[in-house]
Amino acid sequence: MTTPDQSEGDRARDQVIAGEYVLGVLSLEERRNVEARMSRDAGFAAMVGRWSDNLSSFSDEYAPENPRAAIYPRIEARLFPASAKSGLAGLWSSVGVWRLLTAAAVVLLVGNVVIQNQPFGTQSPSQTPGQPLVAQMSGEGNAISLVASYRADSGHLSVTPVAAGPSDQKSLELWMISGNDPAVSLGVLPQSGEGEIEVPEAMRSRIAAGVTLAVSLEPYGGSPTGTATGPVIAVGQALAP
Amino acid sequence: MAGEDLATMISRVSLGDRAAFSALYTATSPKLFSVCLRILKDRTDAEDALQEIFVKIWHRADRYAASGINPLGWLTAIARNHSIDLLRARKPVASNIDEDGWDIADSGADPEQAAVLKGEGKRIDRCMEELESDRAGAVRSAYVEGLSYQELADRHAVPLNTMRTWLRRSLLKLRECLDR
Repeated sequence: MTTPDQSEGDRARDQVIAGEYVLGVLSLEERRNVEARMSRDAGFAAMVGRWSDNLSSFSDEYAPENPRAAIYPRIEARLFPASAKSGLAGLWSSVGVWRLLTAAAVVLLVGNVVIQNQPFGTQSPSQTPGQPLVAQMSGEGNAISLVASYRADSGHLSVTPVAAGPSDQKSLELWMISGNDPAVSLGVLPQSGEGEIEVPEAMRSRIAAGVTLAVSLEPYGGSPTGTATGPVIAVGQALAP
Repeated sequence: MAGEDLATMISRVSLGDRAAFSALYTATSPKLFSVCLRILKDRTDAEDALQEIFVKIWHRADRYAASGINPLGWLTAIARNHSIDLLRARKPVASNIDEDGWDIADSGADPEQAAVLKGEGKRIDRCMEELESDRAGAVRSAYVEGLSYQELADRHAVPLNTMRTWLRRSLLKLRECLDR
């Protein structure tokens, strides 16, 4: 039987435990227990979040100190190993391999994209109307390769996933990153065949040289949150040669 | 470094943007390294921890977007949590929640004092000033240095349970003050 007094006491105790967690005084086992409770008890998680926010100004005491220059290369070496595994069945069934591929793709793809014509979205005199602009986004060992083709006159951006394999109930989602803006979804690619997306009218003027296109692996149907939730399997900047 | 820029960098990192990751490291590694040093108190351990922390940041960047919190606060929390976990794994401490030190009921501030303090804003600094200075010091060094209850008790030369009671009462007073 819970009396009002008891529940008041329980709330106070929860507040204290949430605060103790943020302070860091709990044992490792207690920390794991608190985190487990946070994941199933939104009210308690909110208490922890408030403490974290309230106490964050104590972090002003951490006076910046440069780590040795050797540290960052070690982080890069761990995150972006020089080689990634291949093998399509594994690629499509293993999240771990996707992460490896992501790293490899990022290593190899930046700067690897060639727009074989004028910047997207501009009708310069030298551009033949109706002639598509093409960007190839390829992965380590070409295990994953996507060809983007954009027709400025119709606003059609088609993307062909090459060696896509069984979908495993995943979708590929195409993102555009322009300047400092957050990535904007251009849409979810069809599960097979040529991935053709009709770029919304309002977005067309924003696709120009310099934007970054990226494809991420998302739950079937696309990201549930509006931002990329899965690994990025290909990324490249659209550049005028 | 403006928070907006950091938020942008993190969102680009979530899309696998290595250049953004590098820029994020440049902008924030001195701060996060300082967190590791203060808590782990060993330069080699701190360097190892910093690597782990940035590996986590790379993998968790996509979760940041949904959280909507201050980006430096998010990054610092990852660094603090990682460092404290390491510390507690390496040097286990007694469990606390099921132990004594729950005699935390408090008479509360008197009405006049509360009335005076009410107009002073809700920032944690104001509320910390309401605590006795040694208790405020214990709260702050627990956070900044990752000290355990036992270490805090040793430093302040009080019994362990007394320190638990101190800190728990202090947390409730802070909560009450921040909510005021």
